[in-house]
Order: sequence, then C-alpha cells, then structure tokens
Amino acid sequence: MAMLSDDDLNLRDLTDDEIDRAWDLWFDLAQATNEWDPAYSHGVFSGLEEQAPDKRVSRLKSEV
Amino acid sequence: MLRGQIRPQAVASQRATRRECDASRRGLYSKGVTNVYFELTREFNRLGPVAALSSGQAVVYYRLAIMSKDGDWIVRETPEACRRVLSVLSERGAQYRPAAPLDVRWLRGGWSSHFEHLDERQRRIRCDFVSRPPRVSSEAIAALFHDSATQHNFPVVDRETLIRLKQTGRAKDYAVIGELARQLPPEQEIEWTTDVDRILDLAGTVGAASPRPSVSAALSGATRASVVAALAQELDELQQADRKRLDVYQRAAEPYLAEFRRMGLDQLPLERAHEKARRIAEARLPERPIEG
Repeated sequence: MAMLSDDDLNLRDLTDDEIDRAWDLWFDLAQATNEWDPAYSHGVFSGLEEQAPDKRVSRLKSEV
Repeated sequence: MLRGQIRPQAVASQRATRRECDASRRGLYSKGVTNVYFELTREFNRLGPVAALSSGQAVVYYRLAIMSKDGDWIVRETPEACRRVLSVLSERGAQYRPAAPLDVRWLRGGWSSHFEHLDERQRRIRCDFVSRPPRVSSEAIAALFHDSATQHNFPVVDRETLIRLKQTGRAKDYAVIGELARQLPPEQEIEWTTDVDRILDLAGTVGAASPRPSVSAALSGATRASVVAALAQELDELQQADRKRLDVYQRAAEPYLAEFRRMGLDQLPLERAHEKARRIAEARLPERPIEG
C-alpha cells in the first residue's frame, strides 16, 4: 500500500528548476495559513503553544 | 474563513502595502525562483560546512513531497558555526523566537534554537536549529560535515538519518518514513519501512534476524494481523518515547521562556537578543535536561 499519492510522488521527473518553482508556488500560497500553524513544528519545543499573541503578526497586520 | 483556505487577494494586498524589508534592499536573495531554505543552506555553508539541511526540506531535497513551511538544520557544534548562522540570519533581519540561545553550551544538551524573518516577498521564513538531534549517533552527525558530504556547499542529512529524525510523536511523519525507506536498498528498507505490505514482501526475500518485532513476526510466518499489531506497537512506542522526551525539555524550559517573553527578546535585533538570551539561560535554563 503506497502511503503517499501519485501526485505527491511524481516529483522525481521534474528538473531542479521545475521543483524549485513548484515548491515556491506552494510556499507562496501556504502563507495564507500562517496564523494557524503550530508555534513549533521541530525541536524540543514541538507541541508547545505560544503563551501570548505573536506580536510580529500583530505588527504586520497593523501595517496593512 | 475556514482553516487552510487560501485568501490570495488578501495576501496580495498585504504584500503590496507592506514596506520592503531590509533583506530585499540589500539584495540578499537571488532574483530567480528558488527554494529560500535551499538558498539559506548555501549561504550558511559558503565559508565552510556549518549547517546540514534536515527534516521537511530534506524531504523536498529527496523529491518525496512538496512540504514544510520551515527550514530545519543540524548546526555544527562549534562557536564559529553558531556565529556564522547568526550572522546570516541577522543580515536578513531575523529575530529570535522563544527558544534556547544558539550557543554550544545549550545545543550540546539537545536544546533547539528558533528564528523568524520575512523574505523579500514578505513571506514568513522560520529557521530551526539543533546540534544533537534525538536518535542520531554522534558519528552520523560528524559525517555530515566531512568534505565528501558537503559538495557544492550543500550539506544535507542522508536518508537513514532523516528517517531517525522523523521518528517523532507526530503520526504524519511515519508516512514519510515509509516513502523514504522505499528509496533504500531492500536490506535496509526492511529495517525502516512503516508499510506492513513491504515488511511482508521483503521478509520473504531479504529478511534476516531483526530487532524489529514486526519483521521478526513476518519472518516467523505469523499472521498478517500479528504483523500489523507488532508494527502498530513499534510506532506507538516511538511516538510515546518522543513525547516523553519533549515533556522533559518543555518543563525544564518554563522559567527561561517566561523571562524570555517578559523581556520581549523576540522583538529585539538578533545580536542584542542573543546576548540577553544567553544571560537568562545561564540562570534559568539547565544545559543538560537529559544526561547521556
């Protein structure tokens, strides 16, 4: 049983430039969900919640 | 707006009105489209090997999936490596996130350091560092920074190390392990795969005595249900061990993190925050929460 779909696994045929562009597009769109991301996804603080609202995000919002 | 929905117009509007960041003005990012975390890896290592790309971006490097909004590195455990990383991040206007200082005193105890900045397109860049990741031998870490492993100034963890790194408390990491294992020779794949069908198939061809209960069960001709149960037990034990480890660190970090937040170090320029974080850590952050 494959654990990732074909769409997840068809990356090996891409050129370096193509995979960079694909990742860049995905990363661009993924910014829209930043505020829902876990505070830490790696390291020893993984799973730890922010204790206070992220001031940087608040500051950025105030600029728009 | 539901979780995960994209709001392109809002995002574009925000980008159009935000001020241009310092990094962009100084031309620190290349003009072409590139993976910003790959580019950072090259810059960290431009003067010598100091940081090996790991975790989610290494999965991208091995072309398994387009994933991970963060960059994770195993940093070489030397003051010079820490200074180089801090210098590159400082040039980009990065700030500390509440976490241990990027200093060998705490890194060698297993602590992690976390940073954040915006790139020239105002995208959030998160950079995470450890020098002693769990489950990875000191020999494997040392090998990351040998000349033969750092061609093109691009150290990256090997697949077996990446698998060990992915043995976390998060269930989603075990699907990635299964796919990483498929890229290994069959004799190695059977020692790492999380796919019960592969265990059953490989046991009949390359199976040998194994510390894995699931592989031993398959080799002994146990029923599929028994192999499935043994595999589930293995994965659960790995997840519980990782969660138990993190709990030790997070309880040990509470006094330090409280002071870090009270002093607002995540709002300061990186150099100032680093010095203050070190001083707080000396008083409040145990260097080795877990001995050994």
